Amino acid sequence: MDKEALFSQISQALVDMEENTVVELCKKTLEINIPAYETITQALIPGMDRVSRLYEEEEYFLPEVLICSDAMNAGIDIVKPHLDKNLLEKPVKVVIGVVEGDTHDIGKNLVRIMMEAAGFEVYDLGRDVPLDRFINKAEEVGSDFIGMSTLMTTTMDGMKTVIDKLKEKNIRDKYKVLIGGGPISQSFADRIGADLYTKDASEAVRRVKEIMGRS
Amino acid sequence: MNEKQRLMNALTGVPVDRPPVICPGGMMNASVTELLGDVEKNHNADVNTMVEVARRVHDLTGFENYGVPFCMTVESEPLGAKIDLGDKRIEPKVQEYNQAALEAIMEKCVAPIQSKRMQVTLEAIRCLKNEDIPVIGNITGHISTATSAVDPLDILKMLRRDPDRVYRFFEFIGNYSKAYAIEMIKGGADVIAVSDPTATGEILGARNFERFAVPLYNEIIDVVHSFGVPVIIHICGNANTIVDSLNLVKADAVSFDSVVSLKSVKARLKAKLMGNVNTQLLHTGEKSKIEAATRHCLESGTDILSPACGLSMATPVENLRSMTEYVKKGCR
Repeated sequence: MDKEALFSQISQALVDMEENTVVELCKKTLEINIPAYETITQALIPGMDRVSRLYEEEEYFLPEVLICSDAMNAGIDIVKPHLDKNLLEKPVKVVIGVVEGDTHDIGKNLVRIMMEAAGFEVYDLGRDVPLDRFINKAEEVGSDFIGMSTLMTTTMDGMKTVIDKLKEKNIRDKYKVLIGGGPISQSFADRIGADLYTKDASEAVRRVKEIMGRS
Repeated sequence: MNEKQRLMNALTGVPVDRPPVICPGGMMNASVTELLGDVEKNHNADVNTMVEVARRVHDLTGFENYGVPFCMTVESEPLGAKIDLGDKRIEPKVQEYNQAALEAIMEKCVAPIQSKRMQVTLEAIRCLKNEDIPVIGNITGHISTATSAVDPLDILKMLRRDPDRVYRFFEFIGNYSKAYAIEMIKGGADVIAVSDPTATGEILGARNFERFAVPLYNEIIDVVHSFGVPVIIHICGNANTIVDSLNLVKADAVSFDSVVSLKSVKARLKAKLMGNVNTQLLHTGEKSKIEAATRHCLESGTDILSPACGLSMATPVENLRSMTEYVKKGCR
């Protein structure tokens, strides 16, 4: 079987949520010496891109996206040990979490999954995250982005606090701040001085890529 | 016409002098920080405090009902989720999901009347029961309860991978919610409100909503109706994709989040319409804007005025009064 056909089968199996098929086909790529890097960038990531589009078009919903993402990760696990790291671009680094006082994390998890699918290096701080942790973690890992999410109006102001603290420490320009969640809007983002607001996970990935010149 | 008659009429399609303005409780409650003031005990866990706070909400905000409890974590507690009971500033929240298998969770779960906080809520309802002010018993829907007790991502994946197994879990939750609702009605609840924020169309999509949510809503609604008690159901977020599916739900009224245009839903929805003043506006907006939003809901043909979603605990009482007084002035 030629490489292109194999890649398109992998993509299709991923979109079809057939994790076992994805795994088998990824093993086959190794048998015929296809570089792991190509399998990831030309089969798995394009498959997940199609899933994102299906999600935006409301063909797929969260259950489907989560299962496709598991299939992608299973495929990556197969080929990753064979990856020539020199070929990889320096990944976009993102520190992400749900701000203190809020434990709703479905949206944030979806953003993490979509970002990982796009090859970003994501540091997920979880939910109910103390505000200083966003900054400390970003400093520690040399992040490009700080992403904050909340579903509750009560905790929105925490996002502003993080931005204000970045300013106080004179490190505001080191990071792009990305915010999202139910009650968040572009006007709120403008008001608190966030760099980026997006209404959903797919858009977040697209816009971050644009900002980093990776689209 | 007293407040109870007005709400019962609005729910059952009998003419009213004006739409009632309510805040049902549960996920959508008005026990804001300002109202809690000097209470000594936790209003989410102590009967007398819960009753006192329900009365304050009615008396001070102008909402025309009593509604308990003030959170949506009561149902996930018997399923083994670890709950932080909150305080005067923060609502109760799930601290830790139960990691056990669904079957083991179901085996260990206790009946509603044995669960401590369900008992508290039921006793509060008995204390609040009266002739004039409607008492609303609030129940968290099975999808939200399941995803509060167990990691939501696991539950959502099971909708695809293990649908029968997760449906048995939903059914189990539905059954004890039914038992809980019956106890609420026996205690004096005039209306049952079911909130299922996780069952939004944005997360599930219409197909899953019809398969996993609708049948179990109808089971609990049938039971509540058999006592002659009406049911309100609240769905969060953008429910536009599931409006037609909502017509399969036998609830008396459907409450929508502020992203949903009541005007556009009105023509398509069979049930009575409830909503939907933006809660962020209620938190931080000026009086004139709150009044304009309230007027917009009235003009869009809402049958029952209410906030669109859960209120921030930092919401000023005065803002809530702006909304309720506007409705009561009868500016139609």
